[in-house]
Amino acid sequence: MSQDQDLTLRIRRYDPSTGRSWLQEYRVRAGGILRFTDLLRKINTEQDPTLAWNSSCEHGQCGSCAVRVNGKPLLACELLVENAVKEFGTKEFLIEPITVGPVVRDLVVDLEVAYRRVEGMKPFIIRPRENPYGEGEYRIDPKEMDPYVDATRCINCFCCATACISGPRSFVGPNAIMSCVVRLLDPREDAKAERFKLLHGPNGVAHCHTSKACSHVCPKEIDVAHFVRLAKSLRLKEKA
Amino acid sequence: MGNEWKISEVISCDVLILGAGGAGLRCAAEILEKRLGCRVIAVTKVSHPQKSHTSTAQGGLAAVDPKDPVDKPIYHMFDTWKGSDCMADQNVVKRIVEAGWEEILWLENRGMHFSRDVDGKLARRTFGGHTLNFGETSAYRAVFEADRTGKGIMDTLWGEVIKRGISFIHQSMATELLFNGDRCVGAVVFSPKSGKFTAIRAKATVLAMGGCGQVFKITTNCRQNTGDHLALAVETGLPVMDPEAVQFHPTGIVGPGILASETLRSVGGILRNKDLEAFMERYAPKMKELAPRDLVARAIETEIREGRGILNPSHGIEHVWIDLRHLPEHVHKTQIPEVASFFKKFVNVDTRTELCPIRPSNHYHMGGIPTNEDGQVLKGPNDRVPGLFAIGECACASFHGFNRLGTNSLLELITMGRFAAQKAMEDLDQELPPLPPDAGSRTFEKFSSYFAGHSKVTVGSLRERMKAVMTEKVGVFRNEEGIKEAISLLEELKEEAQKCGLRSRDLLMNQELVERWELDNLLTSAMLIAQGALHRRESRGGHFREDFPERRSEFDRHTLVYMEQFGKVRIDWKPVDMTLYEEGGPYAEKFGMIERKY
Repeated sequence: MSQDQDLTLRIRRYDPSTGRSWLQEYRVRAGGILRFTDLLRKINTEQDPTLAWNSSCEHGQCGSCAVRVNGKPLLACELLVENAVKEFGTKEFLIEPITVGPVVRDLVVDLEVAYRRVEGMKPFIIRPRENPYGEGEYRIDPKEMDPYVDATRCINCFCCATACISGPRSFVGPNAIMSCVVRLLDPREDAKAERFKLLHGPNGVAHCHTSKACSHVCPKEIDVAHFVRLAKSLRLKEKA
Repeated sequence: MGNEWKISEVISCDVLILGAGGAGLRCAAEILEKRLGCRVIAVTKVSHPQKSHTSTAQGGLAAVDPKDPVDKPIYHMFDTWKGSDCMADQNVVKRIVEAGWEEILWLENRGMHFSRDVDGKLARRTFGGHTLNFGETSAYRAVFEADRTGKGIMDTLWGEVIKRGISFIHQSMATELLFNGDRCVGAVVFSPKSGKFTAIRAKATVLAMGGCGQVFKITTNCRQNTGDHLALAVETGLPVMDPEAVQFHPTGIVGPGILASETLRSVGGILRNKDLEAFMERYAPKMKELAPRDLVARAIETEIREGRGILNPSHGIEHVWIDLRHLPEHVHKTQIPEVASFFKKFVNVDTRTELCPIRPSNHYHMGGIPTNEDGQVLKGPNDRVPGLFAIGECACASFHGFNRLGTNSLLELITMGRFAAQKAMEDLDQELPPLPPDAGSRTFEKFSSYFAGHSKVTVGSLRERMKAVMTEKVGVFRNEEGIKEAISLLEELKEEAQKCGLRSRDLLMNQELVERWELDNLLTSAMLIAQGALHRRESRGGHFREDFPERRSEFDRHTLVYMEQFGKVRIDWKPVDMTLYEEGGPYAEKFGMIERKY
């Protein structure tokens, strides 16, 4: 079992009532397998209860605790102290909020706008295709699902959108594109033309610069860039 | 202090849903689908409904396909009844089980990405306690979406409700239920993002607020599951049913308590103590690791209590090991890849070469706000509260009795969500009743008092003390002396909490304030659980009393705990519904007070 580590966390703070933003330094002694969410809670309990941060499930299934650690967007609940020291080669960590929406306080980001971009891509079946099997379930060959099932694992943590070099002003974001691609490939969806229109709309896939940063940071290890590229190439096929 | 104690806005709607997880959104979807133009507002405590705790459910969703050649709804009813240790209400069991398959099709037709078999139909798998022919052999009854069934449900429901125009209020919590006479007419909601209080008027109010797992130190539950619903209920004079019925999963990953699936033991994992002894041989010489959940959980806790646990230095938690090192490489790779990745990710151990630390983890609250089979809240054994519904884990209908079967919780969420919606729609044509003139006063009194304390003790440290005592004294093992110790510590903590001084002074995203409010709710939940446990002088399902280790027939009844003032309880009882037994017929005797033996 690994030993305790002495860490320095420099956390980006923001006070909405004064508009002041600053970096605050916390020194934390922590066991090797504590996670960064444990460290933030430890700071609240032992040093500074005013520090605000977001989380929910704290085991990598909900994506609420996405932050930037030394610039890299990741889930704080999945980052173990000993792995962080190894991966970043330091015991000093700069922790900042993700960049997809306005900061409410400290590390808490308002996700309303960010999620609106995903909702704009209609993450549901717009118009169900008639079910050839009548009343029961649609029959979908697992092989037919293979091309898109990995994209359904996305939890909208917005790590990819934070890493994306195109930025949220021009581009709806890799995760939003992915949610649309899922339904484009879903045999139950009938509204394929509308899907193409959405994907190639004003903030659509044309704004992707193919940096593949999305795939690089995805905590669920989804090849996000693959799905964005797929959206582009399917358009070409459609045109042909 | 410049904080404004006022209702900033009054909003009106037809149906107000407090909580936007699986139950809440299924309810919303039904109403929006059947009643065009109906105004539905859903309030979620998390930053977005997709982050709800339902999303973390892995295994599956139990339901019997009426076309299935071997499985029958009556078998599912029997398994649920037996699993509940004869405490589920049979009218509810019947209704939910019979509606199950319809719900599966509803979800599939709306885009849920269920796993498929080679014919493209919904794949099915077995789960502990689900059997054919009254316990004869395992049933293939659970449909699933890989290891993320809950997420599949949430994504589908979220899609359906935004498609049909729901209004969400994100990252906010209900602090007060509002009544006009005895009719619930809405709630006060606090939104930390704006620092504002809103009063929401509604013809029907639905509580769908999840569980209270944060009462315990080691839990599979999310940070927001702080028993807010239990506090809301008892503050308004409503009872909580069977609060002592808490489920502990034997294998939570140390320290956070993340669920390590049953599969670890079924593929041959061996539990070992600090001397590396395979201790299950002493507790269940035949079944060993494959003994039922509660027995395994008690064996592990006994090892730890008798000094044969191992202390994890990072988390300060004692545990035992599960040894998977002897299993062939392909088992690690193909049969337990998810759990293996959890051990790697959250404890940094390689299941192939290292011992894995585990400890029983609080998992589910079978108890909750009592309702009838339509999700209508009850204030006494039979008395309904007009305008108020409760569904999902926060409610107690009761589908699970004293022990829940795996895959039955997701089934309950979606069926009860629909039933409550159908019942709520019956009353939507009436006028919207006015709010009480003092709406918000209880909230403001409470919240302003939170700023009045001056002590330096932090909310977090009080919360940790509560979690420790609940895990130790009112957890897997309980006895009168221990429960009483816990109750007196809870009273002490309540007093200390009242003196607690908050360092964050305004209302805007004041996490300390939210956690202070949550601490009150946690203490209330803890007190209800402890009181229920104290009064139930028997052992049943997830409730194990060392001083009364057997089930006793005089306790074949639900507990109702009323607690308008902290610690001052009134206990009442409610008979268990025995519809299936009383209706007679060829299988009636299966639904008597049978033994829970596997």
